[in-house]
This record gives sequence, structure tokens and C-alpha cells, in this order.
Amino acid sequence: MQVLSFVGTGQNTLYLLDRLRDMGREGSQVMDRTTASVRRERLVYDLARAAEGDQGGLHDVYRATSAKLFGVCLRICQDREAAEDVLQQVYIKVWDRAGRFDAKRGSPITWLCAIARNTALDWCRANHIQHLPESAAAAVADSAPLAWEAIASAQESARIVACLDALDERPRRAIHAAFFDGLTYLQLSQAMAVPLGTLKSWVRRGLLQLKGCLGHE
Amino acid sequence: MSDALSPELEALAGELALGLLEGDERADAMRRCLSDRAFAAAVAQWRERFEPLHEAFEESPAIDLWPAIQRRLTAPEDNRLRSALSRWRAGAVVSGLVAASLAAFIVLRPMPAPVRVVAPTEQGAIAQLGDEGAAALLAAQYDPAGGVLRIRAVRMPASALAPELWIIPDDGVPRSLGLVAGGGVSEVVVAPETRKLLRDGATLAVTLEPRDGAPHRAPSSAPIAAGKISTI
Repeated sequence: MQVLSFVGTGQNTLYLLDRLRDMGREGSQVMDRTTASVRRERLVYDLARAAEGDQGGLHDVYRATSAKLFGVCLRICQDREAAEDVLQQVYIKVWDRAGRFDAKRGSPITWLCAIARNTALDWCRANHIQHLPESAAAAVADSAPLAWEAIASAQESARIVACLDALDERPRRAIHAAFFDGLTYLQLSQAMAVPLGTLKSWVRRGLLQLKGCLGHE
Repeated sequence: MSDALSPELEALAGELALGLLEGDERADAMRRCLSDRAFAAAVAQWRERFEPLHEAFEESPAIDLWPAIQRRLTAPEDNRLRSALSRWRAGAVVSGLVAASLAAFIVLRPMPAPVRVVAPTEQGAIAQLGDEGAAALLAAQYDPAGGVLRIRAVRMPASALAPELWIIPDDGVPRSLGLVAGGGVSEVVVAPETRKLLRDGATLAVTLEPRDGAPHRAPSSAPIAAGKISTI
């Protein structure tokens, strides 16, 4: 019996490997998911070390995530030097708040990205940064300029992507640019060349539609 | 829950979470977060909905900033805040600084626990902020004769920020009563013009704020604890 079940397992493994090889792209997604979950566990562990006051833990978090978080800061601040300043601020915040991260409630990378996005937005508000007309125009012109595939594989993330895609083009572009480029109503209305009132009614309708879409689990 | 919110408020919560609002509109929405639990919950829910999108930001390698970060970690807290702000201040006008204090609004903390009134012990007004299960638990006792508010911090989350006490009367606009200690008992002498606000039904709330510039004009984050005043 023991031997039989061992053989069984071996066959399953072989079968799985064959399937992975055959499936090409799909197979590499399975592998990506495995790597992603290892990376996530590592990050949770390093954040826990940082929460206990271990600077080495924060350094490991920095090594694993600084390119990503710098991407967030740079996109919103639109200025390298400012983004570098903001990024430092982000890791100081991570150091102060690491104890509040709850792995049961969310993914560590989205938690870190949210801190980076908010810190970058704070910087823009504090400095009255108005996006250059060109970058704002680019932000509202293209609503899929991102590493979409990075989240498309995860089930719960695909939901918000699908719901955003289901919106009308104009509210979708506005919500995209607000989230990814940190544009405010005022900046959006200039970039999209629409009256503020019109824009607000598009976005509000879009938000309520989004809520409805995400509510249907 | 947020299902009870009107579509207007639900959309406003989404607008605040996305960062679409500016100036007075933003300040008003943030104040509502402090005074309206359902609204604050809706904002937090919107943040959760958008959270997976963060992964779609493109990576972009930065120069190695770790040595600079490490220097800041070991610097005393005050220097840290100052050095973080100095470069920003250089280019910012005064109103920019006000905006900065409003801007750090993030709902990462759990919502404050439902209000419960503590059993009366002495004369005066009393409130319990937070409850047994919450991260923050404070007891407040007010002596109207001297205008002295005594705050006992039973439990506070560890933070580099300082607890700031707010009174929120019927109009829903929080007024700062200043910073309180993160542990033990603090005595707050309430300014004569604010004393009339400390009465039955008004809400006392605590947020975590930077020490610089306290008392602040408006809270920059959601309350970690809140409770209603009850006169005995």
C-alpha cells in the first residue's frame, strides 16, 4: 500500500510537470504565483522583524520593494529628486508602522504601496504641485499604461480590474488618472478639458457603478 | 454599515479615498470621517477596494537611499521630522504647510469601537474612549468648575506620533484640546471659549498626530478612539 501510494504521488508529480511544460504561458503563471507567495511570506517575515526594532528587517524590506515603491513615488511626484525624498519618508513610516501591518487583512506589497502613494500625494499637496500639462494629458489619454499583468493573475485583484474595465471610457480614465497619477478633480477637469461639474458627475456615477460591480461576489 | 449611506455620501467617500478632493472639500470630508462612523467605514472600504490596484504601478530602480534612511532611523525623532520637512518647506508657502498637516490622512487603523459610557464615579462629565478590545483605551473625566479635563491613557498603540484630543460638538467640526500623554494621566485645562462645547452628547476623540504644530487646526487621520460625553 505504501509503495502504491508513493508511485501514485510520483505519477501525479510527473503529470503536473508535463502539464506545466505543455501549457507554456499558463505554466509560467503557476510558477510566478509560487514565487510570488514565497516573496510575500518573506516580506511578512521581514516586516515583523522591523516591527520588533530590527533594522536588518527594514533593510530587507527596502531591498525587496524599493524599486516598486520608487515607481509609485516617481509616477505621482513626477520629479526624481522629490521622489527620492518621499521614498526615504516612506521607509521611515514603514519603520514606525510595521507593527500595525496585519498579514491576515492584506498583502504586504499593497500595504507598502498604499503608504508610498499617500506619502507622495501628501508631498504634492504640500508643495502645490500641479502636474505639467503634458504629463496630465498623458495620464488621462491612456487608461491602461501599467503593469496590469502583475495583478491580473490574482483572483481577487482581477475583480477590480474587470469592474474598472466595465466602466464608460471617461469615468474610467478619470479614476485611473486619480489613482495612478494622483490627479485631483481640478487637474482632471483641465487635462480632460471638461467642466468640473460634468467631470464630478461622471466620476460619481462611475464610483457607484464600481461599488455595485464589486459587491456582486 | 456603509449600506445605510446615501449615494452622495458613498461617492464622497470614494472621492476622498481616491484623493480627488482638494482644499475645503477635502477638509470637510476629513472632518466628516471623525464625526460620522459610517462614513469613515465607507472611506476605509473604498481604500480596500482600490488596494489591489497598487500592484499595477511599474517598478523603477532608485539610487541606493538605504544609508540616508538608516541615518534618519537613528536620528532623534525631532531631527527626523525636521530634516524630512526642511526641503519641502523651502519651496512651500505657509498655506502649503497647513495643507501638509491635513494631508497625511490615512485610514489604516481599525475603526474606533462603539461608544460606551463609564459608570459614574464622581461629579462631572465622563467618557470612555475606545473599549476593552480596541487598540486604544482612554478614560476622560471633566471638572466643569475648574475647566479641567483629566485623561487617563489605559492603553495606547506604540507610535512615533502623539495622541491629540479633540472635542466634536453638534456641528461636527473637531476642535483640538491639545496633545495628551500616551500613558498615565494628563490634565488638560480647557480654554474658556471651548468649555461650553464639553457637554452631554458631544464626542471626545483621539487621533495620532505629529508633535510639531500642535494643537492642530484639523485632525490629519481617523480617530483611534472616540466616546460621547455623559454628564452624571
